Amino acid sequence: MERSLKQYEGDRKEAALIAAKLILASAVTSPRLGGVGEIAVQLYHDDADIEDICIKMEEMSSDNPAWEFFKRDAAMLRDADALLIMSSLRSLTDPADINCNYCGYVTCEYMREVEKLPKEPGIAFTGPLCFLRADNMGFALDGGISLARNLGIDYGVFWSAGAAAMKMRILPKDTGIAIGLALSVTEKSPFRDIPLRYDEINERTMMDRVIRRLYPQFRSIYS
Amino acid sequence: MAVTELNELIKGGLDRAVELMAIAAHNSYRFGKTNNTKIISIGHEEMQQIGEFCYSLADMSPLAARDGRAMKELIAMDGRMLIIGEKRKSDLNWNCGACGYRTCAELNKIDEVEALTGRGPSCQFKNLNVMIAANAAAAAAWRLGLYCRVYSTYGMSALAMNVIEDVDITISVAVAAGKSDPFFDRHQYWTQEFWDEIFKKEFPTYDRGFIGAIEE
Repeated sequence: MERSLKQYEGDRKEAALIAAKLILASAVTSPRLGGVGEIAVQLYHDDADIEDICIKMEEMSSDNPAWEFFKRDAAMLRDADALLIMSSLRSLTDPADINCNYCGYVTCEYMREVEKLPKEPGIAFTGPLCFLRADNMGFALDGGISLARNLGIDYGVFWSAGAAAMKMRILPKDTGIAIGLALSVTEKSPFRDIPLRYDEINERTMMDRVIRRLYPQFRSIYS
Repeated sequence: MAVTELNELIKGGLDRAVELMAIAAHNSYRFGKTNNTKIISIGHEEMQQIGEFCYSLADMSPLAARDGRAMKELIAMDGRMLIIGEKRKSDLNWNCGACGYRTCAELNKIDEVEALTGRGPSCQFKNLNVMIAANAAAAAAWRLGLYCRVYSTYGMSALAMNVIEDVDITISVAVAAGKSDPFFDRHQYWTQEFWDEIFKKEFPTYDRGFIGAIEE
């Protein structure tokens, strides 16, 4: 690769990281029900960290028939330059005492007595959660999204990434729900306009099947 | 004469702003492939009803009482309000478990539980869609330089009073323009005596020592 193109690649990655940090700030300062923080935002920008999460997502895709799309999400997420994972810290263990009834138990006292879903492979979030607490995730997500739009940064929202990070235990303990906001600084958004069977046929698999598989023969034969 | 006075400019500007906020909210991110989030703008008559309803809940909720009082000032400042809502059932079929049921089908089969505040049980991602729309509206207001605050109390009251219909989960976004921000630092409502009375009622253990003695 030419020196100038190598420099461009490095600068592009750095731009993505700077944008991710600003987007993290915007997510943090978005509104909160009750006005105080109950959302933590983790930033992953190391390709290896993102790959770990993608692998977990692919594993989870067979845990529940409804999660087949986790594989496609993982294929998209591999193209992300940075990943923000937002986690709701109190929705699992500490209802907000507002008695909003969004959970369907009328009062928070009743809701506390309800047995949570077990921690099984096919269950992503062990609800019922306090929705009023978890709803702050909506504000945080859009806080990030709205700045990403303003900055011209491509984004994708992946609850599969949040669920995988929770299973990997890399988020704060007692996280009730987590959702990933993937960011990309490229000419074509890797999160939209996705071909069918993208989990099977994407840039990596094309490269692997078409170039890398044949290259050893080429290298051997023509040397 | 083509002179428009500031009051008229602000009035027109707020009308346009609320429309732009509604567009921003409507076009914001949604979980799932459908966008069924309902967004309405309400006038001062409905805002007054909502404010009075909130204040009537004072015995149950000092938070609602505070917002009920604040509505009076918001109306005096010619403030505007969006109410955003969504149905509670899930059409996503992601079976995530956040609602406490293993599948979306199970959640959808459960009988609706009514309350003044909202109807449950609801889908977590439908909740998030409502909050994302609210944040997009608030972000648009922020960029337009308006005073803005997101209220759950007004949204819940709008649902209870049928100001917004055909939804189960609600939130509201209020905006105003003027010399001062009507939404924050509203200390003019708190006399020292009133503050002390409410604080002691809501946080009775604040002045207690380790063995329960009250520190004067």
